[in-house]
Parts: sequence; C-alpha cells; structure tokens
Amino acid sequence: MKPLVVALPSGRLLRDAIRLLRAAGYRGTDGEDRSLVWQWGELTVIVAKPVDLLTYVERGAADCGVVGKDVLLEQAHEVYELVDLGFGRCRGVVALPAIRRHLWEDPRQHLRVATKYPRVAERFFWERGRPVEIVQLYGSVELAPRVGLSDGILDLVMTGATLRANGLVEVAEVFQSTARLVVNPVSLRTRSEAVQELVARLTQAVQEVP
Amino acid sequence: MRISPLYQGKEIKPPWLRLPVGLRDWAPEELAALRAVEGRLRRSFEAWGYQEVATPALEYLDTWSRGMGSRRPASLFVVVDRTGELLALRPEMTVPVARFVATRWRGGVARLYYVGSVFRGDPGRGNSREFPQAGAERVGDGGPDADAEVVALAVEALQQAGVRAVRVGLGHAGFLRALLDAAGLGDGGPVAQEALYRRDFVTLSSLLDTAPADVRRVVLDLPSLRGAEALGRARALGVGREALEELEAVVEALRPYGVDGAVEVDLGIIRDFDYYTGLVLEAYAAGSGAPLLGGGRYDQLLERFGSPQPAVGFAVHVERVLAACGQAAAPAPALQVAYDAPSRHRALAWAQRARAAGLRVAAGPGEGEGPGPRVSFRGQEVWWVEPDGSRRPITAADLDALLEGRTP
Repeated sequence: MKPLVVALPSGRLLRDAIRLLRAAGYRGTDGEDRSLVWQWGELTVIVAKPVDLLTYVERGAADCGVVGKDVLLEQAHEVYELVDLGFGRCRGVVALPAIRRHLWEDPRQHLRVATKYPRVAERFFWERGRPVEIVQLYGSVELAPRVGLSDGILDLVMTGATLRANGLVEVAEVFQSTARLVVNPVSLRTRSEAVQELVARLTQAVQEVP
Repeated sequence: MRISPLYQGKEIKPPWLRLPVGLRDWAPEELAALRAVEGRLRRSFEAWGYQEVATPALEYLDTWSRGMGSRRPASLFVVVDRTGELLALRPEMTVPVARFVATRWRGGVARLYYVGSVFRGDPGRGNSREFPQAGAERVGDGGPDADAEVVALAVEALQQAGVRAVRVGLGHAGFLRALLDAAGLGDGGPVAQEALYRRDFVTLSSLLDTAPADVRRVVLDLPSLRGAEALGRARALGVGREALEELEAVVEALRPYGVDGAVEVDLGIIRDFDYYTGLVLEAYAAGSGAPLLGGGRYDQLLERFGSPQPAVGFAVHVERVLAACGQAAAPAPALQVAYDAPSRHRALAWAQRARAAGLRVAAGPGEGEGPGPRVSFRGQEVWWVEPDGSRRPITAADLDALLEGRTP
C-alpha cells in the first residue's frame, strides 16, 4: 500500500507538528534534515510553505496536512478540516498605534490597514460596513503604521510583545487560530482506513499532550 | 498597448501571442484524448436514451443567481449586453438545462445530456477558468427509480470512459438538514450549516456542544459515515427517517443494474443544501484529488423557472476523468499524398477518390512530410513511402487496394 502523504508547514508550526506526530507514535528522520520529503514508516512526510499547504492537499499531492486556521480562513479550499491540533495558538487582531486608537472608535473613519490576510480583512471590514483600504504585505506587517504606509494592521499575535515593541494596541479580535488537521476529500474515501487511523492517533495525542 | 517587461533586455511576448491566465489551447493530440473521453461519455448517455441538448454559453446574470442561489460562484465572466443588462458565461449546465425544460420542453420525462465548456471568472490557486464538462439530467419524475437510473448511469459512464476502480458515494441533503435541525441550534443553525458546508468539523464540534450527545456524535462522524453500516447507524439515531428511507429505496432500486461493487452509501457527502433536495452523489477514483463527478436531486430548481418538476442529474469533470484514465493511444496520422507538377492532376483526383472511400488524406506538393505513410506521385510513377523514408514503386492495383484500406 502506498504510504499516506502528510504535508507539514515549514516555519513556526513545524516543530510542534513533528512533536505531535511522534507523540502519536510515528517515527522517522529528525526535522533537522534539510530534505523536504521524509519516510516515516507508513507515512510520507513532506514539508511545504504554509501558504502552499492547502494547494498540496486540495490537489491530492498530499492526502492530509497540518495548517493554521489563519490560512484556512484566508484561502478558499475544499478540504475537510477534521481535528484541532491545539498547538500554534494565536489570534488575528486589528491593532492601531496607541496614539491613534481613537480612530477605531468612529466606525465611519476610513482606515488603511496593512495585512498578510487581505481576504479575511476584506470580509471583516465589509461585514461591519467599515470603510477600509487594505494594503497587502508578505511580512513584518507591524512596520507599516510606523512609516505611514497604513493607519493600522490586521495580523497574528501570540504574546503581544511585537505589538508592544511597535507601539501598537489591539482594538478588535478578528479570529482565533490553532493548527488543524486537514484531509483531501477523495483521500478521505479512497484511503479511508489510513486516514481514520491518523485522525484517531492524532486526536488521542492531542488529548494526552497538553 | 504598452508592455513593461519583467526582465530588462528579455523579450516578452505581446498579448496577442499569449493567452489570458487560466485559459488554454488544446493541441490536436491533447484534444483527441479529450474527445475520446467525451465520446465514450456520450455513447453511455445515448445508450440510456438520453438526448443531447445545447444551450448558449451566455445567459442573463439573473438566470444564474436565480437558478444557483448560494451555489452561484462569486466570480463569473460577466459582459454588458447592448440593452445594459448583465450576461454571464455559464459556470455550469444544470441551470440552463432546467430553464430549457421549463420553457421549451413539451411534457413528459426529459432525459437530456450535454457536453461543453463551463467558465469561472476567478478559479483561485491557478485552476482553469474554462473547463470541459459533460452531464446528464433526468427531469420530470421523482422517486427511487429515477435516482437509481442516474446513479447507475454515472457508474457506467465513468467505467466506459476508462476509469478503473470507480467509487460512487450516495448521500442525502435532507438527512444533513434533519441532522442539523435535531441539533437544536436555534439561531446558530445557519452558522452550523455554513461550517458543515465548508467541511469545518472543528467549528462544528464546538457549535454542537449543547446538542444532544448522539446527534453530535453522528455529525462529527460524518466524514467516515459510509459503507454497509452507515444506514443502520444513522437510522438508530431516529433523525431524518424519511431521507434515510429514500436513500435505502435508491440502494434497493439499484440492484438490477449490477453496479453494487462501485456504489456505497456515504452520508458525509456535503453538497449545497439550498440546491439539492434529496439524493446527492459524488464519484472518486484513486489518483484524482477531487471528485470526478457530482450531482443529486434538485426538485426545487425547475420551480424557479415557472415549471415545478422534480429532477435529478450529475455533471462530470471531464479533465479529471481524462487524468484518471491515463493516456489514450494517439490516433493514426492521415495518409499523405505528395505530388510533383506533372502528376498533380492525377494525385489530387486519386486523393478525392480516397476521401470518398472514407480515408483521411492530406495532399500537397513536394515530397510530403510529417509522420505516417505517404503516397508519392512522381510523373507517371507512384511510390509508397514508409515513415522511415524507405520507398518502393506501386501499381494502379495497389492504389485501388489502398482505397479498400489495404496497405500495398
């Protein structure tokens, strides 16, 4: 039987994703390996950029994947989101420079908001009927208000340290995020047993590992 | 139009030498493979008494909104008509077939099929904006017999098209609706429905915290609620009894078709609830990351076009079927007829006879080129030229034999 292909996201979630797979009893090469494809017994583990992860799973190149809820919210997709893996906990928030937080109080105030999540931002402001201009960036979003590129940001916060270091204060929470297990809809059916076993073992591991 | 090159000094092609993003050409050998699959799908549809129907590529935007409801893709190719109304390129074919039946069909059950391109304005993640679709719709009768016929046709069409190990799953939109109702979410219902539609079982799990434990269990088990025990497990819950009875009746009605091995109950099939009213189906094959076809019963669609009638059908994603079939054998190249000036008249006259006899013939001056064998007319002589270039003279009798399909 062909091994089940599981895609893990490179970056901040990778270490915890590997730890969880180990806790679920899967064994294989260490994550220090520079290769992006590992054989882990009955699993083939691949490492992909978080923004690409859903593409691998949706097109069936990977049967399953680990991906942040933030990415699931930002990208349209047709995968099954089956398990909250618990790690990678963070929130998406709107933040403004402390000295300009009053801008948020007036819902008629037009805001320029820099973000890595343009679709989420568009939906958030549109649903509330707040006028907004979205500035899409690919990283270091907190820089934008400091140099006048935007009035505020919509970005992930974990501890809030980055916000504080840049003189930003949270004015609204947009979403909460943790890592999720996603499954390709066809793999769910054609690789049913292998997928169910992975789901069961990960679910158990999530409950055991705090 | 001014073009700013991405790389200095590197020639980039002007727009008229490129295609818009998401659109493609089909070269002859690619198209031959596609047409072969389409042809096999057509033959299945025809064999089951379905008749082909064609509707225009453009219809009023309102037609799509009215017909598809929330299922309408956010992004369509829209053009403004000379009267100022908005038209959109068809994103699917079931709505126009329903509109056709509602406005043009003269009574009785309509068994119709279609083959053609559908369009999306912005498919996301590099998918195509035009892709070939083929499908069958049976309009005018409800009940398990109609459902079963359509399911069996779906199985047969895919098998005949060359897909190995076809699996068709049968679910029920009404069961999912009843299940969410039984969860007693009140105002949270639409949110839960949306989460289910997005296949977001993490959100569903937290939304269903207050639901009866057995209902919650079944909702969260939907992704694996299929196979022989699925109906029994669902029935034990006592929810959506009518839907489950319908589904069971379809399974029963399917027996004479002999497709049991390829069909299973799959209560986790999630298709748009606003559109589908009963049976839903999807087909899968290993190696294709997305369903090969999808469909179901949509008893309220015709009503939106003024002619309430039950209907059931499915649409095949032909490119996925093509990918799942592997490569078909390339068709044999046409016979080439080459000639020089003195033999021109004789060569072209013979080519005409050959075409009349049913051969595919490409004729031209010179030595001929490309793959495949050639008949080369030189003055009073005629040569048979093999693809490898070896040649031998042939006689008038050999030419006659060629007309009957015999190689000299």
